[in-house]
Amino acid sequence: MNIQKRLQSGKFVVLAEMNTPKGVDISRFMTYAQHIRGRIDGVVVPDMDNGVMRMSALAGGALLQQQGIETLINVYGRDRNRMALQGDMLAAHVLGIQNLIVVQGENMACSDHRDAPPVNDLDEMGVLNAIRNLQAGKDMAGFDLDGVPQFYVGCHMAPFADNAAMDAEIELARGKIAAGAGFVITPPVFDMRRFGEFMKKAAALQVPIIPTVFLIKSVAVARYIATNEPGAHISEDLIRRIRTSSDREMEGVRIAGETIAQLRKEAGGVLLQTLGWEHRLPAILDAAGL
Amino acid sequence: MITAERKPLEEIIEYIRPFQKILLIGCNECVTVCSAGGRKEVGVLSSLLQMSFLKQGKNLQIREHTLERQCDPEYVEELVSMVDGVDAILSMACGCGVQEICRRFKNKPVFPAVNTKFMGASERQGVWAERCQGCGNCLLGVTGGICPIARCSKQLMNGPCGGSTNGKCEISPDVDCAWQLIWDRLKALGMEDRYEEIIPAKDWRPGRAAGPRKIIREDLAE
Repeated sequence: MNIQKRLQSGKFVVLAEMNTPKGVDISRFMTYAQHIRGRIDGVVVPDMDNGVMRMSALAGGALLQQQGIETLINVYGRDRNRMALQGDMLAAHVLGIQNLIVVQGENMACSDHRDAPPVNDLDEMGVLNAIRNLQAGKDMAGFDLDGVPQFYVGCHMAPFADNAAMDAEIELARGKIAAGAGFVITPPVFDMRRFGEFMKKAAALQVPIIPTVFLIKSVAVARYIATNEPGAHISEDLIRRIRTSSDREMEGVRIAGETIAQLRKEAGGVLLQTLGWEHRLPAILDAAGL
Repeated sequence: MITAERKPLEEIIEYIRPFQKILLIGCNECVTVCSAGGRKEVGVLSSLLQMSFLKQGKNLQIREHTLERQCDPEYVEELVSMVDGVDAILSMACGCGVQEICRRFKNKPVFPAVNTKFMGASERQGVWAERCQGCGNCLLGVTGGICPIARCSKQLMNGPCGGSTNGKCEISPDVDCAWQLIWDRLKALGMEDRYEEIIPAKDWRPGRAAGPRKIIREDLAE
């Protein structure tokens, strides 16, 4: 059963994010994917996430599809105009990629190619509308397509600092769903009570909500997020738990696993995000009892 | 100068339809030179709007005023005594002027009456052409004084593409090939060797790539 069918039939899906290499050595990328194959429902391949130039998500997604792993690739307009986006989405379809997640890109000023001009031809709504057009057999200029692609499309919700920002993000998601998004990826969960409050409101969106489970790699990372993103709700207790652990790395893995286990009752699925520590994904799945 | 063209009358009418009293402001700088939003254009637009609304049985009250510069807070202050008595402001300045009016009069709706087009120069009477995109790191010293960013339709940095024919660009016979212009000028100046210099991938940060820009002159800033 593919991801779309699982989500639409109310089954919990486990997705893992895997970044493509910055180069052409795909050995680790493929090996780590094999380690989680069969234990997860799909792999999300970001496209130059956090503004780091890497092998494109299209290639990463196609490689995993060839291995029989269902993929979801991120699409957005920072680096590609409407021509390139549409062309790459057609390419994605023929390479077997059935799922797209429309996201916001990191600002080019915060990328590792700060001297590059950002494109920003289409925003998230623009990309969603372009996908809808393609699925209706037309490109954005109104020309007919020779063969029509079909995708299962998701959208992304940005982190929110307070209740007002949460409401605003839910409103934005409502617009994206109206434009064709069938599920929503939400920010990392570090506080189940806070997530419960969010879900009371987000349930009204009536599509599967897939929260991100972020692997906290160190006390420094936890402290950084707590300081710079108060809306993430990383508590002092959580930071203390990692700090006082005899194996801090493993404590982060356990916390991620526990979070997944708790979210099984609350959400449509989870997206595991390790930001380069994909080798830890099996341990997180172990900790989650998956 | 910054060039502009008046918006279609229908669009302006839709902006101001809900209002009775309008302050219509022009600018004596760039938009006056390109005949888009100076004192004369303010008068013409005012008459057109009043006639249009009169046909629909509405007596639109318009107060006209043209500032020396709408992008300069010092001149915008002149409007203080006029703004209270109107429902909305219609600006014929470029986007810089419109936003300065918005910044100063936070509680008053402000609408643009022109489309700001580009930084350009007058080619002849009634014709203005793009010359500069404000990339923030001027290349004119190495391209014979002709800008490939503003004037080559593909923004090529190292010579023309295959679409250059008889000195014209493939997109239109009315558009000069910037690289033909560059070559002709370098040749005339005996500086053909400049053409051989490879311009590396441009750093676009001084342009818009790094976000909205600001100049702070420490010696002048208060």
